[in-house]
Amino acid sequence: MMPGGFMMGAHSRLLPLPVPMRFFAAAMVFHPLAWAMLLAGADAVPGFRGGLGPVLAGLHLVTLGVLAMIAIGAAFQLLPVAIQRPLGPTWACGLAWWLYVPGVALLCAGLATGWVPALHGGAGLSVAGLLLAGLLIARCLIGATGFPGIRHHAWLALASLLGLAVLGLLLAVDFRTGWLPDHTAFAAAHAVLAGYGFMGNLAMGFTYVLVPMFVLGPAIPDAVGKRTGLLAALALALAVCGALAGLGWLAAAGGAVGLGAVGLHFAALRTALAARMRKRLESFFRLLFPAWVLLPVGLAVGIALALGAEPAITAPLWGFLMVFGWLLTFATGILQRVMPFLVSMHTSARGGKPALVSQLTADRPLLLHAVLHGVALLLVALGIIIQSVPMVRAGAAGGLAGALALLAFAVELGCRTRAHLQDNPPFSQGHT
Amino acid sequence: MMTTIASLLHTDHMATVETLQALEDLLRRNRSAPAAGSVRPVLERLATVLRAEVQKHFGFEENHLFPEFTRQGETGIVMMLTHEHRAILPLAMRVAELAEQALAAGFTDGDWKDFAASGGELVERELFHIQKEEMGLLSAISALIDADTDARLAEIYRREVV
Repeated sequence: MMPGGFMMGAHSRLLPLPVPMRFFAAAMVFHPLAWAMLLAGADAVPGFRGGLGPVLAGLHLVTLGVLAMIAIGAAFQLLPVAIQRPLGPTWACGLAWWLYVPGVALLCAGLATGWVPALHGGAGLSVAGLLLAGLLIARCLIGATGFPGIRHHAWLALASLLGLAVLGLLLAVDFRTGWLPDHTAFAAAHAVLAGYGFMGNLAMGFTYVLVPMFVLGPAIPDAVGKRTGLLAALALALAVCGALAGLGWLAAAGGAVGLGAVGLHFAALRTALAARMRKRLESFFRLLFPAWVLLPVGLAVGIALALGAEPAITAPLWGFLMVFGWLLTFATGILQRVMPFLVSMHTSARGGKPALVSQLTADRPLLLHAVLHGVALLLVALGIIIQSVPMVRAGAAGGLAGALALLAFAVELGCRTRAHLQDNPPFSQGHT
Repeated sequence: MMTTIASLLHTDHMATVETLQALEDLLRRNRSAPAAGSVRPVLERLATVLRAEVQKHFGFEENHLFPEFTRQGETGIVMMLTHEHRAILPLAMRVAELAEQALAAGFTDGDWKDFAASGGELVERELFHIQKEEMGLLSAISALIDADTDARLAEIYRREVV
Protein backbone atom coordinates (compact mmCIF):
# COMPACT_ATOMS: atom_id res chain seq x y z
CA MET A 1 0.00 0.00 0.00
CA MET A 2 1.33 3.38 -0.95
CA PRO A 3 1.70 6.64 1.00
CA GLY A 4 -1.68 7.43 2.47
CA GLY A 5 -3.87 10.15 1.11
CA PHE A 6 -1.35 11.69 -1.27
CA MET A 7 -3.85 12.32 -4.02
CA MET A 8 -6.80 13.14 -1.79
CA GLY A 9 -7.60 16.77 -2.37
CA ALA A 10 -4.98 16.86 -5.12
CA HIS A 11 -7.59 18.23 -7.46
CA SER A 12 -8.40 21.18 -5.21
CA ARG A 13 -4.80 21.79 -4.10
CA LEU A 14 -3.21 21.89 -7.53
CA LEU A 15 -1.80 25.37 -7.98
CA PRO A 16 -2.24 27.05 -11.34
CA LEU A 17 0.27 25.31 -13.60
CA PRO A 18 2.34 28.47 -14.25
CA VAL A 19 3.18 28.81 -10.52
CA PRO A 20 5.49 25.79 -10.17
CA MET A 21 6.43 25.80 -13.86
CA ARG A 22 7.81 29.35 -13.60
CA PHE A 23 10.33 28.14 -11.01
CA PHE A 24 11.20 25.09 -13.12
CA ALA A 25 11.63 27.26 -16.23
CA ALA A 26 14.01 29.59 -14.37
CA ALA A 27 16.01 26.56 -13.21
CA MET A 28 16.26 25.34 -16.81
CA VAL A 29 17.72 28.71 -17.84
CA PHE A 30 20.15 29.06 -14.91
CA HIS A 31 21.40 25.50 -15.47
CA PRO A 32 23.40 26.14 -18.71
CA LEU A 33 24.55 29.48 -17.30
CA ALA A 34 26.06 27.64 -14.33
CA TRP A 35 28.07 25.29 -16.53
CA ALA A 36 29.08 28.25 -18.73
CA MET A 37 30.47 30.00 -15.64
CA LEU A 38 32.36 26.87 -14.67
CA LEU A 39 33.75 26.73 -18.20
CA ALA A 40 34.77 30.39 -18.01
CA GLY A 41 36.52 29.83 -14.68
CA ALA A 42 37.89 26.35 -15.43
CA ASP A 43 41.49 27.37 -14.69
CA ALA A 44 40.51 28.19 -11.10
CA VAL A 45 38.59 24.97 -10.42
CA PRO A 46 41.51 22.68 -9.47
CA GLY A 47 42.51 23.73 -5.96
CA PHE A 48 39.50 26.04 -5.58
CA ARG A 49 38.97 27.11 -1.95
CA GLY A 50 36.55 30.01 -2.45
CA GLY A 51 36.81 33.63 -3.51
CA LEU A 52 34.91 35.82 -5.95
CA GLY A 53 34.93 34.95 -9.64
CA PRO A 54 33.14 32.79 -12.21
CA VAL A 55 33.58 29.55 -10.22
CA LEU A 56 31.76 30.90 -7.16
CA ALA A 57 29.13 32.42 -9.47
CA GLY A 58 28.70 29.06 -11.23
CA LEU A 59 28.39 27.27 -7.90
CA HIS A 60 25.62 29.64 -6.77
CA LEU A 61 23.89 29.47 -10.14
CA VAL A 62 23.53 25.75 -9.45
CA THR A 63 22.68 25.90 -5.75
CA LEU A 64 20.36 28.91 -5.83
CA GLY A 65 19.44 29.08 -9.50
CA VAL A 66 18.79 25.40 -10.15
CA LEU A 67 18.58 23.35 -6.94
CA ALA A 68 16.73 25.74 -4.64
CA MET A 69 14.60 26.92 -7.58
CA ILE A 70 13.45 23.36 -8.28
CA ALA A 71 13.01 22.72 -4.55
CA ILE A 72 10.74 25.75 -4.13
CA GLY A 73 8.64 24.93 -7.20
CA ALA A 74 8.31 21.30 -6.14
CA ALA A 75 7.57 22.18 -2.50
CA PHE A 76 4.90 24.71 -3.49
CA GLN A 77 3.09 22.12 -5.58
CA LEU A 78 3.80 18.76 -3.97
CA LEU A 79 3.84 19.57 -0.25
CA PRO A 80 0.23 20.83 0.01
CA VAL A 81 -0.94 17.77 -1.93
CA ALA A 82 1.24 15.38 0.08
CA ILE A 83 0.37 16.61 3.55
CA GLN A 84 -3.11 17.86 2.66
CA ARG A 85 -2.67 21.41 3.91
CA PRO A 86 -3.13 24.69 2.05
CA LEU A 87 0.02 26.52 0.99
CA GLY A 88 -1.01 30.15 0.93
CA PRO A 89 -2.13 32.73 -1.58
CA THR A 90 -1.00 32.32 -5.17
CA TRP A 91 0.14 35.96 -5.30
CA ALA A 92 2.66 35.22 -2.53
CA CYS A 93 4.12 32.36 -4.58
CA GLY A 94 4.41 34.78 -7.50
CA LEU A 95 6.04 37.41 -5.30
CA ALA A 96 8.60 34.86 -4.09
CA TRP A 97 9.52 34.20 -7.74
CA TRP A 98 9.79 37.91 -8.55
CA LEU A 99 12.07 38.50 -5.56
CA TYR A 100 14.12 35.36 -5.94
CA VAL A 101 14.85 35.05 -9.66
CA PRO A 102 16.19 38.59 -10.23
CA GLY A 103 17.96 38.26 -6.87
CA VAL A 104 19.83 35.13 -7.96
CA ALA A 105 20.75 36.70 -11.31
CA LEU A 106 22.05 39.84 -9.61
CA LEU A 107 23.89 37.96 -6.87
CA CYS A 108 25.64 35.68 -9.35
CA ALA A 109 26.60 38.68 -11.51
CA GLY A 110 28.08 40.21 -8.35
CA LEU A 111 29.89 37.00 -7.42
CA ALA A 112 31.33 36.72 -10.94
CA THR A 113 32.47 40.32 -11.27
CA GLY A 114 33.02 41.36 -7.67
CA TRP A 115 30.70 44.35 -8.16
CA VAL A 116 29.62 45.00 -4.57
CA PRO A 117 26.20 46.68 -5.18
CA ALA A 118 25.10 43.68 -7.27
CA LEU A 119 26.48 41.31 -4.66
CA HIS A 120 24.64 42.96 -1.78
CA GLY A 121 21.45 43.75 -3.69
CA GLY A 122 21.31 40.25 -5.12
CA ALA A 123 21.97 38.65 -1.74
CA GLY A 124 19.21 40.74 -0.16
CA LEU A 125 16.65 39.93 -2.86
CA SER A 126 17.57 36.23 -2.91
CA VAL A 127 17.29 35.92 0.85
CA ALA A 128 13.97 37.80 0.82
CA GLY A 129 12.63 35.41 -1.84
CA LEU A 130 13.92 32.37 0.00
CA LEU A 131 12.48 33.51 3.32
CA LEU A 132 9.08 34.22 1.77
CA ALA A 133 9.12 30.76 0.19
CA GLY A 134 10.20 29.31 3.54
CA LEU A 135 7.34 31.10 5.32
CA LEU A 136 4.81 29.72 2.86
CA ILE A 137 6.18 26.21 3.30
CA ALA A 138 6.22 26.60 7.11
CA ARG A 139 2.60 27.81 7.01
CA CYS A 140 1.73 24.66 5.11
CA LEU A 141 3.59 22.43 7.59
CA ILE A 142 2.13 23.98 10.75
CA GLY A 143 -0.78 21.90 11.97
CA ALA A 144 -0.15 19.04 9.54
CA THR A 145 -0.46 15.60 11.10
CA GLY A 146 0.19 13.10 8.29
CA PHE A 147 3.51 12.05 6.76
CA PRO A 148 5.70 12.66 9.83
CA GLY A 149 8.81 11.48 7.99
CA ILE A 150 8.44 14.09 5.28
CA ARG A 151 7.49 16.80 7.77
CA HIS A 152 10.59 16.19 9.90
CA HIS A 153 12.85 16.53 6.87
CA ALA A 154 10.94 19.58 5.66
CA TRP A 155 11.27 21.33 9.05
CA LEU A 156 14.98 20.52 9.08
CA ALA A 157 15.29 21.98 5.59
CA LEU A 158 13.57 25.18 6.74
CA ALA A 159 15.78 25.49 9.81
CA SER A 160 18.81 25.01 7.57
CA LEU A 161 17.46 27.61 5.16
CA LEU A 162 17.36 30.15 7.96
CA GLY A 163 20.91 29.30 8.99
CA LEU A 164 22.32 29.32 5.47
CA ALA A 165 20.60 32.63 4.69
CA VAL A 166 22.11 34.32 7.76
CA LEU A 167 25.56 32.89 7.03
CA GLY A 168 25.22 33.78 3.35
CA LEU A 169 24.43 37.41 4.16
CA LEU A 170 27.38 37.56 6.57
CA LEU A 171 29.67 36.11 3.90
CA ALA A 172 28.41 38.57 1.26
CA VAL A 173 29.12 41.52 3.58
CA ASP A 174 32.48 40.03 4.56
CA PHE A 175 33.74 40.17 0.95
CA ARG A 176 33.93 43.97 1.42
CA THR A 177 34.55 44.37 5.15
CA GLY A 178 36.58 41.28 6.03
CA TRP A 179 35.23 41.31 9.59
CA LEU A 180 34.49 37.58 9.89
CA PRO A 181 37.17 35.78 11.95
CA ASP A 182 37.49 32.93 9.43
CA HIS A 183 35.73 33.38 6.08
CA THR A 184 36.56 29.82 4.93
CA ALA A 185 35.10 28.24 8.09
CA PHE A 186 31.87 30.23 7.72
CA ALA A 187 31.73 29.31 4.01
CA ALA A 188 32.11 25.63 4.91
CA ALA A 189 29.26 25.83 7.46
CA HIS A 190 27.16 27.71 4.88
CA ALA A 191 27.87 24.95 2.31
CA VAL A 192 26.93 22.17 4.75
CA LEU A 193 23.64 23.87 5.63
CA ALA A 194 22.83 24.61 1.98
CA GLY A 195 23.82 21.26 0.48
CA TYR A 196 22.95 18.74 3.15
CA GLY A 197 20.65 20.80 5.39
CA PHE A 198 18.32 22.54 2.98
CA MET A 199 18.56 20.64 -0.30
CA GLY A 200 19.51 17.27 1.18
CA ASN A 201 16.57 17.14 3.56
CA LEU A 202 14.11 18.21 0.88
CA ALA A 203 15.57 15.57 -1.44
CA MET A 204 15.18 12.87 1.22
CA GLY A 205 11.64 13.93 2.15
CA PHE A 206 10.40 14.11 -1.43
CA THR A 207 12.10 10.82 -2.28
CA TYR A 208 9.91 9.14 0.35
CA VAL A 209 6.80 10.23 -1.57
CA LEU A 210 7.86 10.29 -5.20
CA VAL A 211 9.86 7.10 -5.60
CA PRO A 212 7.18 4.74 -4.19
CA MET A 213 4.58 6.59 -6.26
CA PHE A 214 6.42 6.29 -9.56
CA VAL A 215 7.34 2.61 -9.11
CA LEU A 216 4.02 1.64 -7.48
CA GLY A 217 5.90 0.45 -4.44
CA PRO A 218 5.00 0.21 -0.75
CA ALA A 219 5.16 3.36 1.36
CA ILE A 220 8.34 4.15 3.25
CA PRO A 221 7.36 3.61 6.92
CA ASP A 222 6.95 6.82 8.92
CA ALA A 223 9.38 5.44 11.51
CA VAL A 224 12.16 5.41 8.90
CA GLY A 225 11.53 9.05 8.01
CA LYS A 226 11.61 10.00 11.70
CA ARG A 227 14.88 8.12 12.24
CA THR A 228 16.61 9.57 9.17
CA GLY A 229 15.35 13.02 10.18
CA LEU A 230 16.79 12.64 13.67
CA LEU A 231 20.15 11.40 12.39
CA ALA A 232 20.29 14.15 9.74
CA ALA A 233 19.65 16.79 12.43
CA LEU A 234 22.44 15.40 14.61
CA ALA A 235 24.80 15.17 11.63
CA LEU A 236 24.12 18.77 10.64
CA ALA A 237 24.59 20.09 14.16
CA LEU A 238 27.95 18.32 14.51
CA ALA A 239 29.20 19.28 11.05
CA VAL A 240 28.19 22.95 11.30
CA CYS A 241 29.60 23.35 14.81
CA GLY A 242 32.78 21.56 13.73
CA ALA A 243 33.19 23.79 10.67
CA LEU A 244 32.54 27.04 12.56
CA ALA A 245 34.82 26.10 15.47
CA GLY A 246 37.57 24.79 13.19
CA LEU A 247 37.30 21.34 14.81
CA GLY A 248 37.84 18.96 11.92
CA TRP A 249 37.18 15.82 13.97
CA LEU A 250 33.78 17.18 15.01
CA ALA A 251 32.84 17.99 11.42
CA ALA A 252 34.06 14.52 10.38
CA ALA A 253 31.89 12.97 13.12
CA GLY A 254 28.95 14.88 11.62
CA GLY A 255 29.80 13.39 8.23
CA ALA A 256 29.92 9.90 9.73
CA VAL A 257 26.48 10.34 11.33
CA GLY A 258 25.28 11.68 7.97
CA LEU A 259 26.50 8.47 6.34
CA GLY A 260 24.40 6.57 8.88
CA ALA A 261 21.31 8.58 7.88
CA VAL A 262 22.06 7.90 4.21
CA GLY A 263 22.43 4.18 4.94
CA LEU A 264 19.00 4.03 6.58
CA HIS A 265 17.53 6.08 3.73
CA PHE A 266 18.95 3.70 1.12
CA ALA A 267 17.84 0.59 3.01
CA ALA A 268 14.26 1.90 3.03
CA LEU A 269 14.43 2.77 -0.67
CA ARG A 270 15.83 -0.64 -1.49
CA THR A 271 12.92 -2.32 0.30
CA ALA A 272 10.39 -0.15 -1.53
CA LEU A 273 12.05 -0.78 -4.90
CA ALA A 274 12.30 -4.53 -4.31
CA ALA A 275 8.57 -4.77 -3.52
CA ARG A 276 7.41 -2.52 -6.36
CA MET A 277 4.53 -3.51 -8.62
CA ARG A 278 5.97 -1.68 -11.65
CA LYS A 279 8.94 -3.79 -12.65
CA ARG A 280 10.34 -1.65 -15.48
CA LEU A 281 12.00 1.43 -14.03
CA GLU A 282 11.45 4.65 -15.96
CA SER A 283 14.29 6.48 -17.69
CA PHE A 284 14.76 9.14 -15.00
CA PHE A 285 16.26 6.45 -12.75
CA ARG A 286 19.37 6.58 -14.95
CA LEU A 287 20.06 9.88 -13.16
CA LEU A 288 18.75 8.89 -9.72
CA PHE A 289 20.98 5.85 -9.31
CA PRO A 290 24.28 7.69 -10.01
CA ALA A 291 23.10 10.54 -7.78
CA TRP A 292 22.52 8.06 -4.95
CA VAL A 293 26.00 6.64 -5.48
CA LEU A 294 27.59 10.09 -5.44
CA LEU A 295 25.88 11.13 -2.18
CA PRO A 296 27.94 8.85 0.11
CA VAL A 297 31.04 9.30 -2.07
CA GLY A 298 30.79 13.07 -1.59
CA LEU A 299 30.24 12.62 2.15
CA ALA A 300 33.33 10.41 2.37
CA VAL A 301 35.40 13.06 0.57
CA GLY A 302 33.95 15.67 2.94
CA ILE A 303 35.05 13.59 5.94
CA ALA A 304 38.55 13.31 4.44
CA LEU A 305 38.61 17.09 3.98
CA ALA A 306 37.49 17.66 7.57
CA LEU A 307 40.32 15.42 8.75
CA GLY A 308 42.79 17.51 6.77
CA ALA A 309 43.57 15.19 3.85
CA GLU A 310 44.88 17.05 0.76
CA PRO A 311 42.58 20.10 1.00
CA ALA A 312 43.69 21.37 -2.43
CA ILE A 313 42.00 18.31 -3.90
CA THR A 314 39.36 17.31 -1.35
CA ALA A 315 37.87 20.81 -0.88
CA PRO A 316 36.86 21.41 -4.53
CA LEU A 317 36.10 17.72 -5.04
CA TRP A 318 33.74 17.64 -2.04
CA GLY A 319 31.88 20.73 -3.25
CA PHE A 320 31.69 19.42 -6.81
CA LEU A 321 30.50 15.95 -5.83
CA MET A 322 27.89 17.32 -3.42
CA VAL A 323 26.49 20.06 -5.66
CA PHE A 324 27.00 18.89 -9.25
CA GLY A 325 27.40 15.17 -8.61
CA TRP A 326 24.68 14.31 -6.13
CA LEU A 327 22.20 17.20 -5.96
CA LEU A 328 22.21 18.42 -9.57
CA THR A 329 21.99 14.88 -10.94
CA PHE A 330 19.17 14.03 -8.52
CA ALA A 331 17.24 17.28 -9.06
CA THR A 332 17.38 17.17 -12.86
CA GLY A 333 16.34 13.50 -12.76
CA ILE A 334 13.32 14.25 -10.60
CA LEU A 335 12.47 17.39 -12.56
CA GLN A 336 12.33 15.63 -15.94
CA ARG A 337 9.70 13.27 -14.46
CA VAL A 338 7.79 15.76 -12.34
CA MET A 339 7.28 18.39 -15.08
CA PRO A 340 5.31 16.14 -17.46
CA PHE A 341 3.63 14.48 -14.44
CA LEU A 342 2.28 17.84 -13.28
CA VAL A 343 1.11 18.74 -16.77
CA SER A 344 -0.69 15.42 -16.98
CA MET A 345 -2.27 15.95 -13.54
CA HIS A 346 -3.50 19.38 -14.61
CA THR A 347 -4.98 18.12 -17.86
CA SER A 348 -6.70 15.37 -15.89
CA ALA A 349 -7.99 17.73 -13.19
CA ARG A 350 -9.45 20.21 -15.70
CA GLY A 351 -11.70 17.46 -16.99
CA GLY A 352 -10.16 16.87 -20.40
CA LYS A 353 -8.46 13.78 -21.76
CA PRO A 354 -5.29 13.52 -19.63
CA ALA A 355 -2.09 14.18 -21.56
CA LEU A 356 0.19 11.16 -21.77
CA VAL A 357 3.58 11.65 -20.14
CA SER A 358 5.21 9.84 -23.08
CA GLN A 359 3.60 12.24 -25.54
CA LEU A 360 4.79 15.25 -23.55
CA THR A 361 8.33 13.96 -23.13
CA ALA A 362 11.02 14.38 -25.77
CA ASP A 363 13.28 11.38 -25.09
CA ARG A 364 16.31 12.28 -27.21
CA PRO A 365 17.24 15.49 -25.40
CA LEU A 366 16.91 13.62 -22.10
CA LEU A 367 19.20 10.83 -23.25
CA LEU A 368 21.67 13.38 -24.56
CA HIS A 369 21.57 15.26 -21.26
CA ALA A 370 22.13 12.08 -19.25
CA VAL A 371 25.16 11.06 -21.32
CA LEU A 372 26.73 14.52 -21.42
CA HIS A 373 26.05 15.13 -17.73
CA GLY A 374 27.72 11.84 -16.83
CA VAL A 375 30.75 12.62 -18.98
CA ALA A 376 30.94 16.12 -17.51
CA LEU A 377 30.91 14.81 -13.93
CA LEU A 378 33.62 12.30 -14.69
CA LEU A 379 35.91 14.76 -16.47
CA VAL A 380 35.57 17.61 -13.98
CA ALA A 381 36.07 15.26 -11.00
CA LEU A 382 39.17 13.75 -12.64
CA GLY A 383 40.39 17.23 -13.56
CA ILE A 384 40.15 18.28 -9.92
CA ILE A 385 41.97 15.15 -8.74
CA ILE A 386 44.86 15.33 -11.23
CA GLN A 387 44.79 19.16 -11.31
CA SER A 388 44.14 19.28 -15.06
CA VAL A 389 42.54 22.48 -16.34
CA PRO A 390 41.91 21.13 -19.90
CA MET A 391 40.03 18.19 -18.41
CA VAL A 392 37.89 20.50 -16.25
CA ARG A 393 37.28 22.69 -19.29
CA ALA A 394 36.21 19.72 -21.42
CA GLY A 395 33.93 18.50 -18.64
CA ALA A 396 32.32 21.91 -18.18
CA ALA A 397 31.76 22.15 -21.95
CA GLY A 398 30.05 18.75 -21.84
CA GLY A 399 27.93 19.88 -18.89
CA LEU A 400 26.93 23.02 -20.79
CA ALA A 401 25.89 20.98 -23.83
CA GLY A 402 23.91 18.62 -21.59
CA ALA A 403 22.18 21.53 -19.86
CA LEU A 404 21.18 22.95 -23.25
CA ALA A 405 19.72 19.55 -24.16
CA LEU A 406 17.66 19.62 -20.96
CA LEU A 407 16.50 23.14 -21.83
CA ALA A 408 15.42 21.84 -25.25
CA PHE A 409 13.38 19.15 -23.48
CA ALA A 410 11.66 21.81 -21.34
CA VAL A 411 10.87 24.02 -24.36
CA GLU A 412 9.47 21.03 -26.24
CA LEU A 413 7.37 20.10 -23.20
CA GLY A 414 5.87 23.61 -23.21
CA CYS A 415 5.03 23.35 -26.94
CA ARG A 416 3.50 19.89 -26.56
CA THR A 417 1.45 20.99 -23.54
CA ARG A 418 0.02 23.93 -25.47
CA ALA A 419 -0.80 21.67 -28.44
CA HIS A 420 -2.53 19.13 -26.15
CA LEU A 421 -4.64 21.77 -24.44
CA GLN A 422 -5.74 23.15 -27.81
CA ASP A 423 -6.59 19.71 -29.19
CA ASN A 424 -8.31 18.36 -26.07
CA PRO A 425 -10.89 20.68 -24.52
CA PRO A 426 -12.46 19.66 -21.18
CA PHE A 427 -15.10 16.91 -21.57
CA SER A 428 -17.92 19.30 -20.72
CA GLN A 429 -16.95 21.49 -23.70
CA GLY A 430 -15.84 18.89 -26.15
CA HIS A 431 -18.27 16.01 -25.46
CA THR A 432 -21.96 15.66 -25.12
CA MET B 1 -5.01 0.14 8.85
CA MET B 2 -6.25 -0.90 5.42
CA THR B 3 -9.97 -1.55 5.07
CA THR B 4 -11.25 -4.75 3.49
CA ILE B 5 -12.48 -2.98 0.39
CA ALA B 6 -9.15 -1.13 -0.03
CA SER B 7 -7.33 -4.42 0.28
CA LEU B 8 -9.56 -6.02 -2.39
CA LEU B 9 -9.03 -3.07 -4.75
CA HIS B 10 -5.27 -3.20 -4.14
CA THR B 11 -5.18 -6.91 -5.02
CA ASP B 12 -7.10 -6.12 -8.19
CA HIS B 13 -4.59 -3.36 -9.04
CA MET B 14 -1.71 -5.79 -8.64
CA ALA B 15 -3.35 -8.22 -11.06
CA THR B 16 -4.01 -5.43 -13.56
CA VAL B 17 -0.43 -4.13 -13.32
CA GLU B 18 0.80 -7.66 -14.01
CA THR B 19 -1.42 -7.90 -17.11
CA LEU B 20 -0.30 -4.46 -18.29
CA GLN B 21 3.35 -5.38 -17.84
CA ALA B 22 2.82 -8.53 -19.89
CA LEU B 23 1.26 -6.36 -22.60
CA GLU B 24 4.12 -3.86 -22.38
CA ASP B 25 6.70 -6.68 -22.72
CA LEU B 26 4.84 -8.05 -25.72
CA LEU B 27 4.91 -4.64 -27.42
CA ARG B 28 8.59 -4.04 -26.60
CA ARG B 29 9.68 -7.44 -27.91
CA ASN B 30 7.80 -7.20 -31.20
CA ARG B 31 8.29 -4.27 -33.54
CA SER B 32 6.21 -6.02 -36.22
CA ALA B 33 3.27 -8.41 -36.03
CA PRO B 34 4.24 -11.64 -34.23
CA ALA B 35 2.67 -15.00 -34.99
CA ALA B 36 -0.36 -15.18 -32.70
CA GLY B 37 0.58 -18.71 -31.64
CA SER B 38 3.88 -17.53 -30.18
CA VAL B 39 2.17 -14.98 -27.93
CA ARG B 40 -1.02 -16.92 -27.24
CA PRO B 41 -0.84 -16.87 -23.38
CA VAL B 42 -0.59 -13.07 -23.28
CA LEU B 43 -3.34 -12.62 -25.85
CA GLU B 44 -5.62 -15.01 -23.96
CA ARG B 45 -5.01 -13.09 -20.78
CA LEU B 46 -5.77 -9.80 -22.51
CA ALA B 47 -8.89 -11.13 -24.19
CA THR B 48 -10.37 -12.68 -21.07
CA VAL B 49 -8.93 -10.98 -18.01
CA LEU B 50 -8.34 -7.39 -19.08
CA ARG B 51 -11.88 -6.66 -20.16
CA ALA B 52 -13.32 -8.06 -16.95
CA GLU B 53 -10.69 -6.47 -14.74
CA VAL B 54 -11.19 -3.00 -16.10
CA GLN B 55 -14.91 -3.04 -16.76
CA LYS B 56 -15.95 -4.58 -13.45
CA HIS B 57 -13.41 -2.64 -11.40
CA PHE B 58 -14.44 0.70 -12.89
CA GLY B 59 -18.10 -0.20 -12.64
CA PHE B 60 -17.78 -1.02 -8.95
CA GLU B 61 -15.95 2.22 -8.22
CA GLU B 62 -18.39 4.42 -10.12
CA ASN B 63 -21.57 2.72 -8.91
CA HIS B 64 -20.70 1.93 -5.28
CA LEU B 65 -17.49 3.54 -4.04
CA PHE B 66 -17.49 7.01 -5.60
CA PRO B 67 -21.01 7.84 -4.36
CA GLU B 68 -19.69 7.37 -0.79
CA PHE B 69 -16.96 9.90 -1.51
CA THR B 70 -19.35 12.33 -3.18
CA ARG B 71 -21.66 12.10 -0.16
CA GLN B 72 -18.75 13.30 2.00
CA GLY B 73 -17.91 16.19 -0.30
CA GLU B 74 -14.82 14.63 -1.94
CA THR B 75 -15.95 15.42 -5.46
CA GLY B 76 -12.58 16.50 -6.91
CA ILE B 77 -10.88 13.13 -6.91
CA VAL B 78 -14.12 11.43 -8.03
CA MET B 79 -14.36 13.72 -11.05
CA MET B 80 -10.69 13.23 -11.93
CA LEU B 81 -10.82 9.43 -11.70
CA THR B 82 -14.15 9.20 -13.53
CA HIS B 83 -12.75 11.23 -16.43
CA GLU B 84 -9.80 8.88 -16.57
CA HIS B 85 -12.16 5.88 -16.67
CA ARG B 86 -13.76 7.43 -19.74
CA ALA B 87 -10.39 7.61 -21.47
CA ILE B 88 -9.20 4.13 -20.39
CA LEU B 89 -12.27 1.93 -20.85
CA PRO B 90 -12.58 2.23 -24.67
CA LEU B 91 -8.85 1.49 -24.98
CA ALA B 92 -9.13 -1.63 -22.83
CA MET B 93 -12.12 -2.82 -24.82
CA ARG B 94 -10.27 -2.23 -28.10
CA VAL B 95 -7.15 -4.10 -26.93
CA ALA B 96 -9.25 -7.04 -25.68
CA GLU B 97 -11.18 -7.12 -28.97
CA LEU B 98 -7.99 -7.08 -31.08
CA ALA B 99 -6.48 -9.81 -28.88
CA GLU B 100 -9.58 -11.96 -29.44
CA GLN B 101 -9.37 -11.41 -33.20
CA ALA B 102 -5.67 -12.26 -33.21
CA LEU B 103 -6.33 -15.47 -31.30
CA ALA B 104 -8.82 -16.48 -33.98
CA ALA B 105 -7.06 -15.29 -37.14
CA GLY B 106 -3.63 -13.88 -36.24
CA PHE B 107 -2.42 -10.31 -36.67
CA THR B 108 -2.33 -8.49 -39.99
CA ASP B 109 0.17 -5.62 -40.16
CA GLY B 110 -2.67 -3.15 -39.81
CA ASP B 111 -4.15 -5.00 -36.82
CA TRP B 112 -0.77 -5.07 -35.13
CA LYS B 113 -0.26 -1.34 -35.60
CA ASP B 114 -3.70 -0.69 -34.13
CA PHE B 115 -3.00 -3.14 -31.29
CA ALA B 116 0.41 -1.61 -30.54
CA ALA B 117 -0.94 1.96 -30.54
CA SER B 118 -3.97 1.16 -28.37
CA GLY B 119 -1.97 -1.15 -26.11
CA GLY B 120 0.84 1.36 -25.52
CA GLU B 121 -1.64 4.09 -24.66
CA LEU B 122 -3.62 1.75 -22.42
CA VAL B 123 -0.50 0.75 -20.45
CA GLU B 124 0.45 4.33 -19.78
CA ARG B 125 -3.00 5.67 -18.96
CA GLU B 126 -3.95 2.74 -16.73
CA LEU B 127 -0.65 2.73 -14.83
CA PHE B 128 -0.94 6.48 -14.18
CA HIS B 129 -4.53 5.91 -13.05
CA ILE B 130 -3.53 3.10 -10.69
CA GLN B 131 -0.76 5.33 -9.27
CA LYS B 132 -3.40 7.89 -8.33
CA GLU B 133 -5.75 5.32 -6.82
CA GLU B 134 -2.97 3.67 -4.83
CA MET B 135 -1.64 7.05 -3.68
CA GLY B 136 -4.92 8.51 -2.53
CA LEU B 137 -8.09 6.61 -2.98
CA LEU B 138 -7.26 3.46 -1.04
CA SER B 139 -6.04 5.08 2.13
CA ALA B 140 -8.71 7.74 1.95
CA ILE B 141 -11.26 4.98 2.17
CA SER B 142 -10.21 4.26 5.75
CA ALA B 143 -10.68 7.93 6.63
CA LEU B 144 -14.06 8.30 4.95
CA ILE B 145 -15.79 4.95 5.27
CA ASP B 146 -17.00 3.31 8.49
CA ALA B 147 -16.78 -0.39 9.29
CA ASP B 148 -20.37 -1.18 8.26
CA THR B 149 -19.99 0.52 4.89
CA ASP B 150 -16.66 -1.24 4.42
CA ALA B 151 -18.28 -4.62 5.02
CA ARG B 152 -21.19 -3.78 2.68
CA LEU B 153 -18.85 -2.59 -0.11
CA ALA B 154 -16.61 -5.66 0.30
CA GLU B 155 -19.64 -7.92 -0.01
CA ILE B 156 -20.80 -6.14 -3.20
CA TYR B 157 -17.26 -6.30 -4.58
CA ARG B 158 -16.96 -10.04 -3.99
CA ARG B 159 -20.34 -10.57 -5.63
CA GLU B 160 -19.88 -8.31 -8.66
CA VAL B 161 -16.15 -8.19 -9.39
CA VAL B 162 -14.24 -11.21 -8.10
